[in-house]
Amino acid sequence: MERWALVSGLRGDLDLYERIQRDLSTQRGVESLFVLGDLIGPERNCDALLERLRQPKRGDLKPDCIYGWWEEQLLAERGYRGDQNAQVLRREHGDDAVDALLKAVDERHLPWLASLQFGFIELDCALIHGSSADIGDRLTSETSPLILLDRLTRLDVNRLFTARSGQQFRLELTGGAIQSHVKDTAGEQQQEQAVPKRSVIGIGQGAAFSLYDAATDRLDFMRAGEPCVTPRRT
Amino acid sequence: MLETMSTTWLISGPPGCGKTSWILNTLRDHPGPCGYLRLKGTSQEGLEQGCDAGIDRTWLQDQIPSLEDLSTPQPSPAAADRINLIELQQFQAPPEEAPEAIDPAIRSQLDTLQLRPDRCLLFGRDPELPGQDTLAFNRLEAWSLSLHNSVWDPNSLSSFWFELVNGAYGDVYRAKALMNLPDGRAFFCNWMVSQQGSQFLPLERVEPPHGRPKRSSELVVQGKALNGIGIQTTIDDCLISDDVLEMHQAPMRDQQPESTHTR
Amino acid sequence: MTPMAHAVISCLHANLAAVEAVLEDIDRQGIETITCLGDLVGYGPQPNEVVQLVRERAIPTCQGCWDEDIIDGLNACECSYPSQLAERRGHRAHHWTAEQMTDENKAFLASLPMTLRRDRLLFVHGSPNSQHEYLLPDMSAFAALERVETAGADTLFCGHTHQPYVRELSGGSIRVTVEQAGSEGATEQELTLPMRRIVNAGSVGEPRHGDTKATYVIHNDTSGEVTIREVEYDVAKTCQAIVDAGLPEVFAWRLSHGFEYAERADDASHVCER
Repeated sequence: MERWALVSGLRGDLDLYERIQRDLSTQRGVESLFVLGDLIGPERNCDALLERLRQPKRGDLKPDCIYGWWEEQLLAERGYRGDQNAQVLRREHGDDAVDALLKAVDERHLPWLASLQFGFIELDCALIHGSSADIGDRLTSETSPLILLDRLTRLDVNRLFTARSGQQFRLELTGGAIQSHVKDTAGEQQQEQAVPKRSVIGIGQGAAFSLYDAATDRLDFMRAGEPCVTPRRT
Repeated sequence: MLETMSTTWLISGPPGCGKTSWILNTLRDHPGPCGYLRLKGTSQEGLEQGCDAGIDRTWLQDQIPSLEDLSTPQPSPAAADRINLIELQQFQAPPEEAPEAIDPAIRSQLDTLQLRPDRCLLFGRDPELPGQDTLAFNRLEAWSLSLHNSVWDPNSLSSFWFELVNGAYGDVYRAKALMNLPDGRAFFCNWMVSQQGSQFLPLERVEPPHGRPKRSSELVVQGKALNGIGIQTTIDDCLISDDVLEMHQAPMRDQQPESTHTR
Repeated sequence: MTPMAHAVISCLHANLAAVEAVLEDIDRQGIETITCLGDLVGYGPQPNEVVQLVRERAIPTCQGCWDEDIIDGLNACECSYPSQLAERRGHRAHHWTAEQMTDENKAFLASLPMTLRRDRLLFVHGSPNSQHEYLLPDMSAFAALERVETAGADTLFCGHTHQPYVRELSGGSIRVTVEQAGSEGATEQELTLPMRRIVNAGSVGEPRHGDTKATYVIHNDTSGEVTIREVEYDVAKTCQAIVDAGLPEVFAWRLSHGFEYAERADDASHVCER
């Protein structure tokens, strides 16, 4: 068994991260830890958590991190995104939030944050903060399946793991089809395309995280410090 | 199958009839030592020889590493089972009454190299040679360009070659080239108007990722109303700069030991 | 006059003879409503003349990727060039076009909107997401439907690919199973998908559908029927104009053989991240 731990939304909370690491040490077969963005946030100083992520302690499961929405706002405001700035953050939460974010992260961490990738493709799975359409894309269990299928198609993967919405869910595409009729200068063609068997998984955020076994496709929803909360499949 | 005695044959024919291919297959099948020479043919009124810059010799030597170059006189007597094949681009057949007659200018080149053909075979006449691609030319221009040290952007090479053989720069009947790519490979590119498509045959030897390649590289084109300036302009846009070449080679150097190698 | 018919043209690429032939074809059929999907300029030899003609005819137009490039400069998406040769030719054409164009005509291109909407018809250059996204006829049918549906349209008119087609997406449904943390079991749902269409108007000035004829489409606003039109024009005249303008002569050869001026990358689903 080789399981992945999928975490997001730590928002600078080192205590939470340590609780999660302790939980992972009690679980069997967890070999990889993916942190899907929002490592930082304006609520608290993030330097200690960032140090820990960059230099794991003995006994830590080594984290592989990608950047998320909060990192994008900070990097834009700090000039790492051309002439963009944290306009979305400013619009949604005001100047105070931008100032708090800048104060929360020491500049020495910026090159590392800027080096983080947008996402990982592991086996047939994409691990992304939002979606490939937008870093802020909130995919939930209520999102139209048409949109979810589009997001899967863009990356051409069978599993899309997303964190932005904070929800823990698995939405599986189980069937359906569509007719496509094309007319061009050469003639006409009719085709049926079936819905591929794919799924979108919301991994949660903060204390809510997930464990996934790629070999068996088993997904467990977890909460730091609590027993597994995955619904039993009937 | 040739008899096992020292043999020297002169193989001639018009452009694109398949001389080099036939020579390659024959030499590959021969168990003993072999030698090759491409003679400088004679141009006639309206029929220009493509400048030979060693494309055929380089290609054959890559495919048959033991092939001996007959352009330098051989110091010792030939081995009994040796075969020498001499290639000559020739537009017109010798007269019927003297089918094996050799033009005096050609004879002179052969004498200088102490070569005396036992037979003269002509594409389109002699049954030992295939005849399907042997065309008669009334008028043919030639254009050539040295590509020494040059390296092509691969997708640009595809586009350029497509344009060249489809008439963007004049009516091209024959085009052949040796082209270098950034990963150290080289290709023998071959097009003849009577064939369905072009050949892109990789050379065995791969150059190491240390700057520009040293081996022979050339383009020869024969046709009508050739637009040399247009060809040159496009080629200039296809060849990569030192900086771009370095971007390709630096990661290769990190991965490989410093030595030449074959595929 | 054909009041219910509406012509959609795209990708004019500074080819005056082709634009004139297409407008004449439209006028001959009595069609008074025309929409243009952008790329008025780019590669071709008559950028000012074509922009001027569109302005004189007051044709509603949305901004194409080449129009954007002329305004924004060469920091626009360059990832659609698969070869150095295509990139150099593209840049050469860009610089020539930018130098030729009057300030007034450039201002006109800058004023063009990204999209145009008329009731449930949406008009874009590439896709509703980007001027650079290609909506090819063989892209995932579900992804194609998503583009139209998310944009709030019934029929999406697009260009950019230079290959005209009409694609109808119908009879669609998606079944899903959803599990959520804290809930017992999984729920099943079925979404019935609406019928939607994508209509690609092809290209007036730089056809890529295997022929040299200019293409555009006619939409019947009453019946919804779409017709693809192919129009012959004096290709030799444009080829001569290319040579006279000092643009690469090979452009004339490519146009006269129905090839694009410079190849684009194969990745149809690529969306510029810029």
